[in-house]
Amino acid sequence: MRFSSRIVATAAAACLVAAAVLAQEAQRGPRTVNAPPKPTGTTPRTADGHPDFTGVWNGLGDNLNGVPNQLANNGISIESETVARDIHSGQAVTVFPRNTNRPQNNEQAERAAALLRRSGSNRPIYKPEYWDMVKYNDHNANEEDPSNNCMPAGVPRGAIPSYIAQYPNYVFFVYPGQGGLIATQTMYRMIPTDGRKHTPLQELDGSYTGESIAHWDGDTLVVDSWGFNSNTWFDQIGGYMHGENMHVVEKFTRNGNTLTWTATVEDPDYLLEPWTTTPRVALLRPNAMLAESQPCSERDLAHIVTKEHH
Amino acid sequence: MNAKTAVALMLALAGALTVPSARAQAPDRAKVLRTAADALGMVRWSDIGGANTRLPGIDIVNTMELVGSGTSDMGGRAVKTDYHVALGYNPAAMRVEMTRTPDGGAAQHTIQTVRDTFAWDESELGAGLVPGKGTATPMNAAAQDRLLQLWTLPYGVVKAAYFAGDKTVVSMEGGATVLTFPLSGPLAGVTVKATLDAKSLVTKVETRPDNAARANLATETTYSDYADRAEVLTDIQTPGHIVRKQGGRTVLDIQVKNWETNDPYLVFPVPSNVKSAATR
Repeated sequence: MRFSSRIVATAAAACLVAAAVLAQEAQRGPRTVNAPPKPTGTTPRTADGHPDFTGVWNGLGDNLNGVPNQLANNGISIESETVARDIHSGQAVTVFPRNTNRPQNNEQAERAAALLRRSGSNRPIYKPEYWDMVKYNDHNANEEDPSNNCMPAGVPRGAIPSYIAQYPNYVFFVYPGQGGLIATQTMYRMIPTDGRKHTPLQELDGSYTGESIAHWDGDTLVVDSWGFNSNTWFDQIGGYMHGENMHVVEKFTRNGNTLTWTATVEDPDYLLEPWTTTPRVALLRPNAMLAESQPCSERDLAHIVTKEHH
Repeated sequence: MNAKTAVALMLALAGALTVPSARAQAPDRAKVLRTAADALGMVRWSDIGGANTRLPGIDIVNTMELVGSGTSDMGGRAVKTDYHVALGYNPAAMRVEMTRTPDGGAAQHTIQTVRDTFAWDESELGAGLVPGKGTATPMNAAAQDRLLQLWTLPYGVVKAAYFAGDKTVVSMEGGATVLTFPLSGPLAGVTVKATLDAKSLVTKVETRPDNAARANLATETTYSDYADRAEVLTDIQTPGHIVRKQGGRTVLDIQVKNWETNDPYLVFPVPSNVKSAATR
């Protein structure tokens, strides 16, 4: 149980960091819904007329801000204290008041988190020969998740960058390294918007972030990437492996102080059909500075004694 | 105080004493359903990363997978059966894989799948989805029977009782709490009667169709020996013994070895030929 306790402790530490990021919002009182933040303000534009994405977005990326947001990322929208639905299918999800006379201990909270983060219906459809492997990956995520070996999250698992700098001919994305249980290495991407074409796939050495080019489709920034290695999973949970022929199209839209992101994954070797993430929304933090990356500590995989995971 | 006033006071007092008593005897539907959902471990909320968030709980049961063995009915005989089920409630789907070995006979392997109103048999897992990889045989007429197996599982019962809303009636029979409610969608016209034990766990589920033409939907399933049977523990209680009867005859008697409830990756895409068959 030694390592199990360490996992819980590390998770708790990660959550404290996330809690600190949100501390300023605590003054507004607790949220009882997990709906994305409503946009406010106007959308600034650069000199060439495009929406300006420059800024710090949620500070540590959208995935670290606690299970409530991860639940939304997974597609479960809790709209009030009596209404919830699965965004992908539209199916109602039964809502219950919290049981205030039965506080959860760490273990129960971890188990609840693992279930909550997986209850949405928006799942990529793999070819049947890979169904068992995906299930195995998620079931054995403590050992199998590339993040647990301090690898970069990759694309599109990195999701919304914590910082975007926008220039006339390129955009620059920064994904700080995340400590704690969802441990990933710092990652950055420099993406041209100058109209260049992709390098032919066969000429690219596979990499964690692949080769990305971007263009504007109206006010939407479309980032098209290929040329990946097969060392990453393409969503935060689920064990969603991929091959070197994966092609990812990310779409970024800005509305006031919010940024909405989706990614569509195509992988003719592994998937039966393209899969699109549930839209994720990050909030601009106008005066925030990007914190230093947190060191990634590799897991002592040989001594894991439980399959329980986040 | 005159006699008239005294009688009025006595009647009022009697009424005041009687009303709470009557209320105590009528089970509170919401409370009973919540207790049943809690007993099964279906209700979870987040206490992690929620420093500024107090979300209510939600029903987190979606996909499940169970493995067991026992006997099943084959032409009127109970034969040795290895039983493997993958299921989901969003979308409503179930894949039942059985290997049945009659005494002195060869093992027979079947995969029976349903999703919403589509039903098909698979010659191998995921048959019919990739050209040249197995055969998916449309069996859409079997959709109701297969869906009934999904909705008569303990989790399906609690979900369906919630979906039925005011149509769910809670009563007491022989000291046990009983839920009675109609199913909807493809199973409209089928009434479910579910019996809860003292721990509010579903122990017996009876279904009654609205007409004789659907006699195959008259079933009785019992569940016992509840525990958390997942390799990755979830605090979800799952039955260890399932006995299903159809038309009074036992069609399934299974001891469950493992029941994964961590919403495992289980998908049920409908093969195109099954969709086409449904529209013909």
